[in-house]
Amino acid sequence: LAYMSILEYNGGAVLAMVGKNCVAIASDTRFGIQHQTVSTDFSKVFRITDKTFVGFPGLASDTQTMLNKLKFRIKLYSLDEDREMEPKIVSNLLQTLLYEKRFGPFFVEPVVAGLDKNNKPFISAMDLIGAPLLAEDFVLSGTASEAMYGMCETLYRPDLEPEDLFEVVSQCLLSSVNRDALSGWGAVVHVITADGITSRVLKGRQ
Amino acid sequence: FFFFTYPFLFIMARRYDSRTTIFSPEGRLYQVEYAMEAISKAWAAIGILATDGVVLAAEKRVSSKLLEPGLKSEKMYKIDDHIACGVAGITADANILINYARLCAQRYTYQYQEPQPIEQLVQGVCDLKQGYTQYGGLRPFGVSFLYAGWDKHFGFQLYHSDPSGNYAGWKGTAIGGNNTSAQSILKQEYKDNLDTKQVLALAVKVLRKTMDSTSLTAENLEFATLTLVDGKPSFHSLTADEITNLLQENTEEESNN
Repeated sequence: LAYMSILEYNGGAVLAMVGKNCVAIASDTRFGIQHQTVSTDFSKVFRITDKTFVGFPGLASDTQTMLNKLKFRIKLYSLDEDREMEPKIVSNLLQTLLYEKRFGPFFVEPVVAGLDKNNKPFISAMDLIGAPLLAEDFVLSGTASEAMYGMCETLYRPDLEPEDLFEVVSQCLLSSVNRDALSGWGAVVHVITADGITSRVLKGRQ
Repeated sequence: FFFFTYPFLFIMARRYDSRTTIFSPEGRLYQVEYAMEAISKAWAAIGILATDGVVLAAEKRVSSKLLEPGLKSEKMYKIDDHIACGVAGITADANILINYARLCAQRYTYQYQEPQPIEQLVQGVCDLKQGYTQYGGLRPFGVSFLYAGWDKHFGFQLYHSDPSGNYAGWKGTAIGGNNTSAQSILKQEYKDNLDTKQVLALAVKVLRKTMDSTSLTAENLEFATLTLVDGKPSFHSLTADEITNLLQENTEEESNN
């Protein structure tokens, strides 16, 4: 089977959205090799500090490698600086890690979502060589991106409460991945508030 | 163990102490021994193994009222979630090695996706220290470490390393000033079945008898424990209040004895 880009080899979708004093980040849970689905519990979103999540959609191998590289750096930072890395700094670090491989990149297009030390929401996304996108509303990445952009522009409104944010993110993600052959097979949504994290698993169209 | 009577070797040492990379005729490395001398003049640190954890204690001397107390300790460091270090010696040298130890631990975790076994980490740092006794022409590090940690292979462990790059596992040991007297008290008083709370009390007892300062307060002492919390290793540095309580609990016991 031919594929247009190595970023479409495994498929996957990640979406993050800002609400009122909260953020949500979600991903589908398909792990596939081209047309063949291999696993249905492969989330691309990972908790890397108390209040920050990162999603790595793209080539699954690089999803795992970037996560390990990031965890390495985050651990050293917290030991050195005696504090947790804030989401903005995580985003900056990822940009550096990606650009270091400018001429042989990691095939992931990360999404960062979290609350800073004052519990202010932060989201960002970047391309595979670290070009950042800082948004106030939503960011997304993956093989279902066009559909996700459409859904988010339509359904998003500012200052959504955590429960409503969960509903909006879920609908945006599910409707988008249903139109993408390479994404789907379930989803997981994490809502991060000052009080804690609520994670829910969604069952989509099989 | 490098024991030497300083006056006896005064004349002989002069010829062989200027380079780390040569032996003396008696088969000694003087620079390494001098490094250990530097540490024996430093502030004390002790480590004791308990059934459910490891305790590190250190003497802290605030040399001037003008000094701003930093948030970070200069005696106790976390290397990874499951390993902590007590330091005695030249702080600047210690910083380099602590950084190296942290990198070692993370590189291992990156490669094997699991926490580094304590002994492996100790060996890593020791191998670096050994290099400075054999080649490069650079002086050895003037630091001794007490490594306290937990891994799934051997549970709670305590190790000591010195500037020569030698290390050994201990149930209880002391480094820095007055370490020989602290060590002999530990030899008498240590028991295999003590828990963390009892070991903290033992640490207070040892420090009380060996420290130069007349009074022990939260200002001149540091304590840390490495235990399992919810099944996961956890490093806890005692707060000033906790230290004050610990000292109070153990003064009363002393007077009862």
